[in-house]
Amino acid sequence: MMLDTSDQKNFVAKVDDLKVYFNSKRGTVHAVDGISFDVYKGETLGLVGETGCGKSVTGRSFLQLLPIPPGVLAGGSITYNQQTNSSQRIETGSKPGFPNSRNFEFKKVDLLTLTGEEIRKIRGDSIAMIFQDPGKSLNPTLTIGAQLSEVFLQHRTEEILEMAGLGSEAPGAIRRFASQRNRIFDKWLVNLSGNRLTKSRVEKAVADLVAKALSDTQVPNPVKLMDRYPHELSGGMKQRVMIAQALACNPDILIADEPTTALDVTVEARILDLIQDLQQRRQTSVVYISHDLSLVRRICDRVAVMYAGRIVEIGTNNEIFKNPRHPYTIGLMKALPSADTARGELLAIPGNVPELINPPQMCRFSSRCAFATDKCKNQDPQLEKVTNSHSVACFADVAEISGK
Amino acid sequence: MISKKDNVGQPILSISDVAKHYPIREGALQRVVGHVRAVDGVSFDIFPGKTVGLVGESGCGKSTLGKVVAGLTDPTSGSVRYNFNTQLVSISSLEKNKFKNFRRNCQMVFQDSFASLNPRHLVFDIVGRPLKVYKEVSGYDLVEKVVSLLNQVGLGREHLYRYPHQFSGGQRQRISIARALALNPEIIILDEPTSALDVSVQAQILNLLNELQKARNLAYLFVTHDLSVVRHMADSLVVMYLGKIAEAGETQAIFAKPYHPYTKALMDAKPSFDEGQNSKAKGLEGVVPDPARPPQGCRFHTRCSLATDKCGWEVDDVVRWLEDTPGMFESLTAVERKSEFSAVLSFSDESSAANLKQEMRSEKLPASMRKALNKVNINEKNVQIEFEPVEEILLREKDGRHAACIIEPKKVNQEA
Repeated sequence: MMLDTSDQKNFVAKVDDLKVYFNSKRGTVHAVDGISFDVYKGETLGLVGETGCGKSVTGRSFLQLLPIPPGVLAGGSITYNQQTNSSQRIETGSKPGFPNSRNFEFKKVDLLTLTGEEIRKIRGDSIAMIFQDPGKSLNPTLTIGAQLSEVFLQHRTEEILEMAGLGSEAPGAIRRFASQRNRIFDKWLVNLSGNRLTKSRVEKAVADLVAKALSDTQVPNPVKLMDRYPHELSGGMKQRVMIAQALACNPDILIADEPTTALDVTVEARILDLIQDLQQRRQTSVVYISHDLSLVRRICDRVAVMYAGRIVEIGTNNEIFKNPRHPYTIGLMKALPSADTARGELLAIPGNVPELINPPQMCRFSSRCAFATDKCKNQDPQLEKVTNSHSVACFADVAEISGK
Repeated sequence: MISKKDNVGQPILSISDVAKHYPIREGALQRVVGHVRAVDGVSFDIFPGKTVGLVGESGCGKSTLGKVVAGLTDPTSGSVRYNFNTQLVSISSLEKNKFKNFRRNCQMVFQDSFASLNPRHLVFDIVGRPLKVYKEVSGYDLVEKVVSLLNQVGLGREHLYRYPHQFSGGQRQRISIARALALNPEIIILDEPTSALDVSVQAQILNLLNELQKARNLAYLFVTHDLSVVRHMADSLVVMYLGKIAEAGETQAIFAKPYHPYTKALMDAKPSFDEGQNSKAKGLEGVVPDPARPPQGCRFHTRCSLATDKCGWEVDDVVRWLEDTPGMFESLTAVERKSEFSAVLSFSDESSAANLKQEMRSEKLPASMRKALNKVNINEKNVQIEFEPVEEILLREKDGRHAACIIEPKKVNQEA
């Protein structure tokens, strides 16, 4: 919407005027209040902002992972430019030099209006997510192998059957076993003498896929890891398992919600390398949600700065960090302790984030902004282009601010 | 230990050779089978009006050390000595009323302000409690005193009768600080006070801490994992790894030129914001070893990119390597140790044993580890390995700085 998309095929997802509200006793919280941005193919888009600015809600709405109710989708759409012909997608590995061939058709779907059945096909397959706390997002009662095989059983049944040498003539019970859609007698059926061997072949095929997914994330000894439970692993190792799970099906879009916040810096650097390396090999688009500016500066191609449910500034990495135009973006950067700020002279942004219950028509940052005028208190600034790729939502004379 | 000669006056708190070991109990009788060496011989001084930064990865013992220093748990060995009228006295030998005196002079601010403020108490109770316990003020004066404390941390009278859940993270941390300030302490131990906060709020809290330090000549022990914060806040720095000090010295000197490869690795892992887009972060291989069985020699040698044959390669390193190698670990049946540096590894079949012998001399192991290897003998299913024994590498002084590393500082700072 605010970004020039001359090449319509270029974007993989387009968020348009997304609004997510939450009903609470005290009123409607406008957690995300009309944000629009595009995600281009193969890029890393950083979504930065402080706690409660709506960045995680934005990320989760891609996969319909929001709690509704109390959440309300109050408007907008997320258009996903899906590559159809999914049977071809599986074989990309066996057809080198044939990426994006004419066999691929683009189909546009609105992720917010899909039914449960439809979104389940996309979730974990063409759009995947890495969560913040790997300790909480892995199931403690399942082994790593069992958790990872679910992804393949849900989305890669045909491939599994083919690897097991069965193809389309697989018995119904085995087919259902390989897609986790067991019927009432299937547990008994797959263990019949005729099926037992094929079942173990299917299990072997799944285990091979899981081992390959794990070895892609450079874990030592993946076969041994598959028999372990999450609590036996270190935080970095758990996050690698999460990444293996998310990237198992070669997603088009990876939503990374603060994947390294719970990790040590020494581990963080290696996890980021890993995500970047896998992303480049597979041309995945990454939406990287973080509050860490130095990290976003290091890894993102484009950056969207969010404040109180709105995007206040969006642009390429250089535009945002070398030439910030919004007072909030500038304030965030100055608040970081650096080598040459004298002690006690950090430029903190005064005040707190305003409450988002029925916010009035005004610039939401105006109460903390040093450049606020009467206009800011009466009108709501919209994102306006500074350059082709750089947009800012601010009335103040941007050149004047960045000069100061 | 990191005291500099020109540092005027005595330290307010002297930590000498402090160790804290937690027993591991097993079995029906709960017999002690080993110890987790959370802190293992750490010494440094804290001077009035100065900030000591304590950094390290999670699990390196920095929070445990903070608790020992605050007197919340007793050290297993070593002592924390507090400056009582220009005399350093060990706090564990203090009488009850003198210990109380120490407690009021040494306060703590915890990381998680959700967990460290009682949700059923009003702000007035929380901040006023220390004043009541020490019978400083009472009645109407107490209210006024609490209000003045709240004013100092940027809150006001209107916040007196609210509960902690009604505040944001930054405000709650301010309440914790107000509570710590109530008795006018000399030292405040800050255990990751800003790691749960946003950058704009973090800047507010750091500024507040600095103002208070100037106004009251407070000494801080700032425990954190965030190097950019510690660089901004601390006068001197203590870098911990696996319960020991890896490097200690003046903050600016360490940031200009780290003497220990671990310090260097920490700095490389998180380039500061100014370094821009193309700065490359370098992580560390592997995980922090088990503190119940810390590595011999230098504790960092298992992950160090500069490790030499003198850094303490041992039998455990071979076992760890086997664990990560598919196929080999499964056939390992027993490890019979003669010492940390010499053992016989038994396998279930001869081919694995032969394989190990071959791999021990191959490129798959670090060159320095192969160099430290004295002997590999094969006897059917058993492989005898022996490394060059190495003494523990202690903190040593080099040009007024302290680092526990045998590698020349020049080499540490060379680009790999």
